Amino acid sequence: MNPTTSSRSLWKAPVAIPLLLAAAAFLQSRIDAQTRSEAVQKEELLVRSGTLLKKLSLGYDPLLADIYWTRVVQYYGSRIGERDAHFDLLAPLLNITTTLDPHLVVAYRFGAIFLSEPKPAGAGRTDLAVDLVKRGIAANPGEWRLNYDLGVLYYWRLKDYHDAAAAFLAASNQPNAPYVMLKLAAAGIAQKGGSIETSRMIFAELYESTNDPKVRKTALKELRALKAQEDEIQLDKVIQQYEKLFGRKATSMLDLVNARLLPGVPLDPAGIPYVIGPDGKCRLNPKSPIGAPER
Amino acid sequence: MSVMPGVVAINTFREAVRDRVLYNLVFFGLMMMGAAILVGQVSIGINRLVIINLGLSAISVIGLVMAVFIGVGLIYREMEKRTLYSLLARPVRRWEFLAGKYAGLLLTLLVNTSFMTIGLAVALYYVGRPFVRADLTALVAIYFILLELALVTAIALFFSCFSSPMLSTLFTLAVYVTGIFAGDIRDFGALTKSPAVQAFTRVLYYLVPNFHNFNAIAAAGHGERVPLALIWQNTLYAIVYASVVLVAASAVFGRRNLK
Repeated sequence: MNPTTSSRSLWKAPVAIPLLLAAAAFLQSRIDAQTRSEAVQKEELLVRSGTLLKKLSLGYDPLLADIYWTRVVQYYGSRIGERDAHFDLLAPLLNITTTLDPHLVVAYRFGAIFLSEPKPAGAGRTDLAVDLVKRGIAANPGEWRLNYDLGVLYYWRLKDYHDAAAAFLAASNQPNAPYVMLKLAAAGIAQKGGSIETSRMIFAELYESTNDPKVRKTALKELRALKAQEDEIQLDKVIQQYEKLFGRKATSMLDLVNARLLPGVPLDPAGIPYVIGPDGKCRLNPKSPIGAPER
Repeated sequence: MSVMPGVVAINTFREAVRDRVLYNLVFFGLMMMGAAILVGQVSIGINRLVIINLGLSAISVIGLVMAVFIGVGLIYREMEKRTLYSLLARPVRRWEFLAGKYAGLLLTLLVNTSFMTIGLAVALYYVGRPFVRADLTALVAIYFILLELALVTAIALFFSCFSSPMLSTLFTLAVYVTGIFAGDIRDFGALTKSPAVQAFTRVLYYLVPNFHNFNAIAAAGHGERVPLALIWQNTLYAIVYASVVLVAASAVFGRRNLK
């Protein structure tokens, strides 16, 4: 072909290329229509071993972890809200992501939410979420937010107040953690779960360690309330003993003193006498400042 | 000291620029811009992380591709074009020529990596301004990548002294992959009960270049501090190992019959 012929045919390229590209796009859409149903069925994870993928990544594992994390987000996002949504690949995808990059804290935190949310908003697998966060804590020992997340999982999803309090307490001991808030949460949850001793220990430590007068005041108030709670339990036992001995319920603390079951009218940590309520159980005097809302 | 290696190095760099090698920077720039804009739309909480991981991985991969594919052709091309003979007819010793070629490719890689570092910094500033102290670890990671490239270039140059570009590429990549798995080779030996295998894998571990040493991408992504001792140890390791390979290359090239 001589140069003249070549320059003559040069104008054909700008026309031919878009036309051919349009034809290719049309054919691709036909192929997509043909194979779409097949593609929907194929929801699988060819390589499930994060360790193997880490080796195969030839040192580019952090980037691969980002890609897998994006895949997790897309996988969860594409199913959320569907009535019959299945999240079978969520846990394996998260395992791969966190094996590729054990320090990708965001994957543990959001992954735990995706896994623990009840269906159809999530996988409804709090057990797997707890495992994931525990692995995160092991890989990132200084990350208080993971301990906090573990506490939230125990508290909200599993109603395990003992472990929740332990997790919040662990979070409060990490560097840069808002320790007052976490210690208060831990103590409050322990109290709710009936672990008065744990709760008292945390409040006492908080009272000793803080210089903030407001926090000290709160801790002291909670310590007094805990002491009152313990007193009430002990006094209820004495009231039951009185009922066994005399066949009737005690109506006031004086009955217990007169029956020589108590040396004197018992006082709460604020110095106000305890009373016996209409239900026959010991309770704080309404005049007592303990348990009253903070002013 | 002779100025010839410097002259050869400058010419090697000019040749690379003439060959439009630095065009890869356009690709890198477009990729970083795309990632900076798109990642926030499709993922959660990893905008900055992706920019660092993607940027450093791209710097490493592009650098490796350049080091291997240009490195294996450095000597071969000169022989093919017969320019080597006219060069060696001048008062240039063979090792000087080799050193110049090596330095020239390193200069090309340094310039290329510097521009990519600027691109990475711009993308980082776009997604998470202002810069934080932890971003400095990315500079350490880039320095480690440069050390890795210096080592790979030396290996590619060594193979190009006695082999065709195709075979040299295969050999260089084989050494590179082996170097990445150096730790696994040693661990494999530890798994066996045989003291002979253990000794062999241990020797092999110290013999192959350990490229795993130079991977600080994960640390950069999470802003972890890289110990100063590791920086100078890696620097010395790269210098010592590259020197060994270059001395071997010079010995091979010096004995090669160029008639």
